[in-house]
Amino acid sequence: MPIVELNGVRKVYDTKVAVDNISLRIQPGTMFGLLGPNGSGKTSTIRMMIGITIPDAGTVQLFGEPFKRENLQRVGYLPEERGLYKKMNVLEQLTFMGQLHGLTEGESKKRAHQWCEKLQITEALPKKTEELSKGMQQKIQFIASLMHNPELVIMDEPFSGLDPVNATLLQDVLIELRNAGRAVLFSTHRMDQVEKMCDEIALVHQGHLVLSGSMREVKSKYPRNRVHIAYEGDSSFLQHPSIAEAKNFSGYSDIILRDDACDAQPLLQSAIAHGTRIWRFEVVEPTLEDIFITTVGGNVDA
Amino acid sequence: MHNTLLIARREYLERIRGKAFKISTVLIPLLMIGSILIATHGSKTAGHIAIVSSDTNLALDLQKELENSDKSDMDVDVQAPTAGWRQRLNTAVADKKLDGYLVIDGTSNEPTISYLSSAKGDIATTQTINAALRRVLTRERLIHRGMSRADIDALLKTPVLQKETITATGASDKSDNTSGFIAAYVLFFLMYFIVMMHGINVASSVVEEKSSRVFEVLLATVKPSEMMAGKIIGVGSVGLTQVAIWIGCIAAMLFTPLLAHIGAGGFKLQLSGLQLVCFVVYFLLGFLLYSSIAAAIGALVNSEQELRQYNMFIAMPMAVNMVVLFPIITAPNSLLSTLLSFIPTSTPLLMFLRLSIANVPGWQIGLSIATLSLSIAIVIWIAARIYRIGILMYGKRATLPEIVRWLRQS
Repeated sequence: MPIVELNGVRKVYDTKVAVDNISLRIQPGTMFGLLGPNGSGKTSTIRMMIGITIPDAGTVQLFGEPFKRENLQRVGYLPEERGLYKKMNVLEQLTFMGQLHGLTEGESKKRAHQWCEKLQITEALPKKTEELSKGMQQKIQFIASLMHNPELVIMDEPFSGLDPVNATLLQDVLIELRNAGRAVLFSTHRMDQVEKMCDEIALVHQGHLVLSGSMREVKSKYPRNRVHIAYEGDSSFLQHPSIAEAKNFSGYSDIILRDDACDAQPLLQSAIAHGTRIWRFEVVEPTLEDIFITTVGGNVDA
Repeated sequence: MHNTLLIARREYLERIRGKAFKISTVLIPLLMIGSILIATHGSKTAGHIAIVSSDTNLALDLQKELENSDKSDMDVDVQAPTAGWRQRLNTAVADKKLDGYLVIDGTSNEPTISYLSSAKGDIATTQTINAALRRVLTRERLIHRGMSRADIDALLKTPVLQKETITATGASDKSDNTSGFIAAYVLFFLMYFIVMMHGINVASSVVEEKSSRVFEVLLATVKPSEMMAGKIIGVGSVGLTQVAIWIGCIAAMLFTPLLAHIGAGGFKLQLSGLQLVCFVVYFLLGFLLYSSIAAAIGALVNSEQELRQYNMFIAMPMAVNMVVLFPIITAPNSLLSTLLSFIPTSTPLLMFLRLSIANVPGWQIGLSIATLSLSIAIVIWIAARIYRIGILMYGKRATLPEIVRWLRQS
């Protein structure tokens, strides 16, 4: 039974179609990445999933049932824009959130301490939110959404604005949750950061689903046609006919091969024939970002 | 219900601990006591003037009247018109040693009297002098006609009007109704301040949650109607706590010798049981009405600044109460007063005021509570709908057609 199931969901604000005919399923124990540029409909999709807004068409099912508010007790939600009470101290805030999700006050406090220890911000517990840095606030909110040990974790842009150390810390927590059998969905516009994490992805663009499926499936549809070369000496091999597109830096080049010439071997031969010294020659599959750009035609910021 | 209480508790604790609560708890009674003191004691005219007259008797009489009457508390010098007096007095006025001077020219049969002062619009002083002059001149003329001083004083004595109220049971009540009136007045302003202040607090608390986006987390578990109810109950309890603190203080003063110490031993608060019950009922209903309106307004706007423009929707109906205060006090049972007290936004304050100072028929009280409750139900129904959608609107302000559409949709 999928934890989340969207079928042909559509949402229109005034005249703008925010989400159009999006369908997706999330299974337990899956790390699901909802990817797309700013304004592509990620947040609107998420809001419909948890009943904050109601879809104009299509159906939403959580835990195999149509939307029921009681089921939200089993969901942990981190909204894109961070919301914490400024004047309230962190412990009280976390306790309050835990209680709203059905925990007792004592249990709530206990878990708040445990989580803060885990994320290394115990010193923030007695402080007011307004005294904390942005990154710390984000960690607090991250904890707030996980206090009640939800079966489904939904996080809207969880890593934006975090330094690499903290981003990794949170990523590790999410992976842990996934390994414990929870369904984790997160959205992001930084596709490069999350490639390694996701089991499944959905790429949205202008409210439409442009790509979805398991990471393997998606990637296998695209040939290994990226070549990274680090070299020294003659660069005339860069004129080779198998190259469709190249970004050349001094002593370094990122190359995309032509679709009909999906083999980097001739290029390497040509380089050696020109007497170029090769430090690195790597043939890789396209990144998610590359795939996205190819699919929507380079119009990422639209 | 569990969630509503949790939200209410959070709201309550945050506000009780805040500075604003402590400050307003102390400041509002001070303001009120201050304004009552001014209203009751501030009407005596004070000042320092001079009287210039060749008729020393008349001048001394006037001086006595001005210095010792119950309406004025002036400092009066009497001077004879010696050479250069005008020059001297003008300088004194210019130097602010004198507030003004009175010239009585008694040479002719009809004395001409003029008052010269630095202040243009000192109506109170002019009136006091006028009244004193009238009394002194009347006495003077009566003496001229051969009456004795004792006779004149007996003649001029103003009779004291004895006031009694007849209660609903037909018994007459001789108790001092000024203190009853003051009590009603105090409670009126108490209600006014609390409802106004905490009503607006509900709106700003909604806006705060909206602008900090906390509500999005809350909405992922809590129903909008539960959120709204929690806020209103939480903020309302703060208001009740404040009233309880004040009433506790008043009681402490009444039942301890403290009041006698500050020289108000004769003052007795006179509140009937009906008045107290009605105060509580109207206070709660009034608070519910205004805070639901405030919650809806809070859901409509996006920021504190925007809220300030909309605050007039709360402040205006409140201000109506103040504007019509005087006509209602003078004629609490007139048709106008009755009609005004049935406007839902005015019922809590005006009906309470009316029944405190006059005998309002029981059916009017009952009917007013019924209409008020009905309008609260309607307002809450509308507010919950606006809240439900408005709270998720951001980036732009809602237009009137949009609001109407929301009401129909949700």
